Amino acid sequence: MNKNNSKMLTADEASKIVASSVIRRRKKNARLKTYGRIAIGLAVSFLIFLFVSIFSKGIPGFFQYYVTLDVYLDRDRLDPKGDLSPESLYNGDARSIVLESLYKVIKPKGRKEKKAAKKIISSNADVRISKMVLDDPNILGKIIPITFAVDDDIDSFLRGYIKRETPSSERRINDKVIKFVDKLSAENKISYKFSDYILTGSASRSPEIAGIKGAFIGSMLTLAVCFIIAFPLGVATAVYLEEFAPKNKITEIIEVNINNLAAVPSVVFGILGLAIFIGIFGMPRSIPLLGGMVLALMTLPTIIISSRAAIRAVPPSIKDAAYGIGASKLQTIFHHVLPLAMPGMLTGTIIGMAQALGETAPLLMIGMVAFIVDIPGGVTDPGTVLPVQIFMWADFAERMFIQKTSSAIIVLLVFLILMNAAAVILRKRLERRW
Amino acid sequence: MVSNSNINNVKTKTIGEIFSKDPKIICRNVDVFYGEKQAIKDVSIDIASREIISFIGPSGCGKSTFLRCLNRMNDTIDTCKVKGSISLDKEDIYDEKIDVVTLRAKIGMVFQKPNPFPKSIYENVAYGPKIHGLSSSKEELDFIVENSLKDSGLWEEVKDRLQSPGTGLSGGQQQRLCIARAIAVSPEIILMDEPCSALDPIATAKIEELINQLGKNYSIVIVTHSMQQAARISQRTAYFHLGELIEVGETKKIFTMPEDKQTEAYISGRIG
Ligand SMILES: Nc1ncnc2c1ncn2[C@@H]1O[C@H](COP(=O)(O)OP(=O)(O)O)[C@@H](O)[C@H]1O
Ligand SMILES: [Mg+2]
Repeated sequence: MNKNNSKMLTADEASKIVASSVIRRRKKNARLKTYGRIAIGLAVSFLIFLFVSIFSKGIPGFFQYYVTLDVYLDRDRLDPKGDLSPESLYNGDARSIVLESLYKVIKPKGRKEKKAAKKIISSNADVRISKMVLDDPNILGKIIPITFAVDDDIDSFLRGYIKRETPSSERRINDKVIKFVDKLSAENKISYKFSDYILTGSASRSPEIAGIKGAFIGSMLTLAVCFIIAFPLGVATAVYLEEFAPKNKITEIIEVNINNLAAVPSVVFGILGLAIFIGIFGMPRSIPLLGGMVLALMTLPTIIISSRAAIRAVPPSIKDAAYGIGASKLQTIFHHVLPLAMPGMLTGTIIGMAQALGETAPLLMIGMVAFIVDIPGGVTDPGTVLPVQIFMWADFAERMFIQKTSSAIIVLLVFLILMNAAAVILRKRLERRW
Repeated sequence: MVSNSNINNVKTKTIGEIFSKDPKIICRNVDVFYGEKQAIKDVSIDIASREIISFIGPSGCGKSTFLRCLNRMNDTIDTCKVKGSISLDKEDIYDEKIDVVTLRAKIGMVFQKPNPFPKSIYENVAYGPKIHGLSSSKEELDFIVENSLKDSGLWEEVKDRLQSPGTGLSGGQQQRLCIARAIAVSPEIILMDEPCSALDPIATAKIEELINQLGKNYSIVIVTHSMQQAARISQRTAYFHLGELIEVGETKKIFTMPEDKQTEAYISGRIG
């Protein structure tokens, strides 16, 4: 090396510089790792906080307080017509039979105390008796211990949300009611067990008997419609755009628009559904069919985009192989491209469906927020969906609805987790073919 | 149709004998464009029945492009345009009446990278006969599969695991599976695009032996970057350079006494 041209480093100098830079680089590495860990730690702690708060609030919502009474099932009073028909039972006097059994335990004196006693048992008690009789008419004429849900205010009192120390005038239940509840507790008539209503009940203004079954079925029906419409349509669109569409300006505009649609706020799809399906086609509001169609509009872009990516990820060598052996374009697509792209397509679809499952806003627009007691029997029966049910419950004043809201959220989360698990399993299955 | 009177009457700059006595494929004045770019310039050549011909030349000279014209695989590339005439058994393969599906059943192809379908070994071989309706029963299909695997020298190695995935085989086995898949539809011609470039020497030797065997029944056009391979397996060799067919002739002659300076430069290792 030329000594005058002292720009070149000797090996010694170079290795020193490298060594010092190595320390710097290591520090930088370590710093980045720390930042990453902090970020993940934060995210995980938020998640834990979310889960703990939802589960701690929601798990109690799956349980509720019951009172057990020995009820004399008087045949003449319960079934006045004597034909055991629902109408006859409906016209029967179940309510007062229940109250009489209650009075036997707590022995109210006078009109005022009786009025207070009436507040203890859920208004649903008579329905329960009618159902029992319908299921098994042999119980008529016997004395049978039956458990009834307590009224939601009593439930809240027993949980300690309504406090004894609060002045009577500010409490939702008065001192007389509390006295009776104490008496029932003392006689071991009060029990706390898994709710009969939360999973199998339908919407109700009485929180102690409100349940998510109607909304759950509504969600299932809506998702089914959404899937049946969006999946084939999305896959067909993706196949067309990837394999058939000429590469020109129009295709380009369509592509850009599909990508933009994926980012459109979901409420806009609700407005679209309102304007087109209800406004122009005159479809009835509040039905899962309509909800599914609106959600299909919303999910389509997601499905199209992920399906296109999945199709593009199919190795060209496989297509070459198929064409080389003389397969037609359709055969190549159906025998080779689609099977290989299916796992990716399904993943995208399930992500889209999961989004749809949690969607509230567009369904509010098309009236799926209506208060519907009946459980929908088909896609054309009015219904609501889980997130909308949650949204409605969160808005009600009764204390017990707060627990039920969290319970419904747990059900929604479990549903979502199951869907994702199904997606993972399905994908593994399909991929493991080779 | 290409009339007999003018096919041997073609103007060409190519040195050597482009004609065959018993031509299977006749290419005349073929130009290929990728968009504006011309990849093949005025190539005319015959490919005889039951001959093995190799295409050699530096990378990017258009060997693959020209090969893919012969079974219209270039149709799958949007930008690709083919001009001139190519005929199989005197029938223009670019004629509107020709169905590429039947054409490709007659002209099989083996690719550079082994590309078995992600299906079982059996399904890989059976796929072609199935889609072309070559078998009317399960027994017939089994027979075709077995024969094709035997002809490709794979039968002994896979007969006990026909239902296991084709992608689970070694590279050389995969390539022989691809050859079995190609011959399962009883083609007349097999095109091979550097079939050994992804394989080790032992697998390569096996494939070369197989090609020699197949040459008795099929016309084989093989693109190779290995001149030794071309010398070992082919009767004729065509040298391409920058999209032009420079020289074509007996393999022995091309490798010992090339007439063209560029050919000589390439085979002596000065262009590569
Ligand atoms: N799909 C394609 N689109 C555009 N140009 C291509 C395409 N395939 C090949 N070419 C070009 O055509 C020329 C010939 O390529 P190719 O036939 O692959 O050469 P070879 O097989 O001899 O290496 C190259 O210049 C290459 O860049
Ligand atoms: Mg090539």
